[in-house]
Amino acid sequence: MKRTILLVEDDELDVISVQRTLKKLNVDYNLYVAYNGKEALALLNDPVKPITPDVILLDLNMPKMNGIEFLRALREYDQFRSLEVFIMTTSAESSERLKAEELGISGFIIKPLSYTDNTKRSDSMDAFVHFHLRKILRA
Amino acid sequence: MTASRTSAQIYATLFEGQLKRQIGKEINDAIGQKFSLFDKIEYRTRNIHSKNLAESIRRTHIYSLTFFTLTIIIGIFTAIYIVALISKRIKTMVKLAENISQGNFTAVTDDKKDELTNLSSSLNIMSGNLRRIMTELQSRNEELNKFAYVVSHDLKAPLRGIHNIVNWIEEDFGAELSPRLKEYLEIIPQRTKRMENLINGLLDYARVNKKTDSEMTDVAELVQQIVQDIVPGDFSVQIAQLPDIFTERLKLEQVFANLISNAVKFSLPAKGSIEISYRDLANHYEFSVKDAGTGIDPEYHTRIFEMFQTLREKDDKESTGIGLAIIKKILDELNCSIRINSQVGKGAEFIFTWPR
Repeated sequence: MKRTILLVEDDELDVISVQRTLKKLNVDYNLYVAYNGKEALALLNDPVKPITPDVILLDLNMPKMNGIEFLRALREYDQFRSLEVFIMTTSAESSERLKAEELGISGFIIKPLSYTDNTKRSDSMDAFVHFHLRKILRA
Repeated sequence: MTASRTSAQIYATLFEGQLKRQIGKEINDAIGQKFSLFDKIEYRTRNIHSKNLAESIRRTHIYSLTFFTLTIIIGIFTAIYIVALISKRIKTMVKLAENISQGNFTAVTDDKKDELTNLSSSLNIMSGNLRRIMTELQSRNEELNKFAYVVSHDLKAPLRGIHNIVNWIEEDFGAELSPRLKEYLEIIPQRTKRMENLINGLLDYARVNKKTDSEMTDVAELVQQIVQDIVPGDFSVQIAQLPDIFTERLKLEQVFANLISNAVKFSLPAKGSIEISYRDLANHYEFSVKDAGTGIDPEYHTRIFEMFQTLREKDDKESTGIGLAIIKKILDELNCSIRINSQVGKGAEFIFTWPR
């Protein structure tokens, strides 16, 4: 089964990390990347070929339209009301988390700020993304 | 002639002698009576006068005693009233001063006009100033917290990125890399780690001003924990009996952790030794952390407490030069001090005081 994943993330490196991880995981996927909430909404509302993702990976801190604003807009659409959304952020603010949970999310993943202690491979960013993506995609 | 003279003589004798005597006696008696009467009156009057005098003396005594007593009573009451009045106002001001000392900056209203009014208006001005400064301080603190968050978040994110890219290069192109390139690549994570340590150190330094919670602290247990966390197993560690103190635990922990980690860093290979002891002085405690490491030239004894002063080479990843600056700042805030006994090659002993 081919999975359609929408990644909403403004940090190029996080995008690369997700792409690398998806390649390593044994899954069939279509990855769409939006660099902020506005771009993500545009992809979902494309007049020619709108995307219909199975899961959205959403960063919170983004320019133009942040994660919470995007999530609020997303839940306005009937067809996206129960769409699986996972927050992946470095922000550990509980108020943000509360807002996201009120709007309906399937998971809130806090990315560590530092991987520089990685004497072990498992501490790297790829390892972290791998661990969570495998669970999310049940791969 | 003789007869007439005689009769004249007899007359004279009779008249002069008998009558005069008789009359003189009568007169004398009358005068005597008069005098005795006068005497009687005189004595009676005198008696009355002396009685009056005694009475008036007595009355004067009573009056003066009454007035004296009244004066004293009125005096006492007036004094009590005035003292009560003043002490009430002073109490108001003491209350105000107490409020100020507890961080509650309320103003008092004082409508009287005297020397105490000056004091109360001075207190009011002081209270107002303090309130303004405290509000300013709070907003500065919030600013500092925001700054700390931005520093930790935004400055660390690029480091994370650099670190990732090095990982990816090694992972994807490991086989193609020349040994020289690999060698250079390995330096990058060391430097990012150092940068991260600097950021963390700066954050710690910025946070020293923050008041932390005081709690009953078993110093021996606190030191033991630090030793367990950062001292390698082959070190000889001696910890003397240490006291229990009610204090800002976090700050004492920061001081000990920095000193002990310094002792570890500057120890000589295979000769690691740390001694921790204390003295109970009259006004404060005095702790000592002593190592048998490389020691520090007395020339540098003041410089090492300044920011970013490390006596090691710049590429040493463990030494940021912030640790002792943090200790110095913590101790300065507590009005405590630190001194060092050291010679090159003879180890170093850091001795710091801590409030009781």
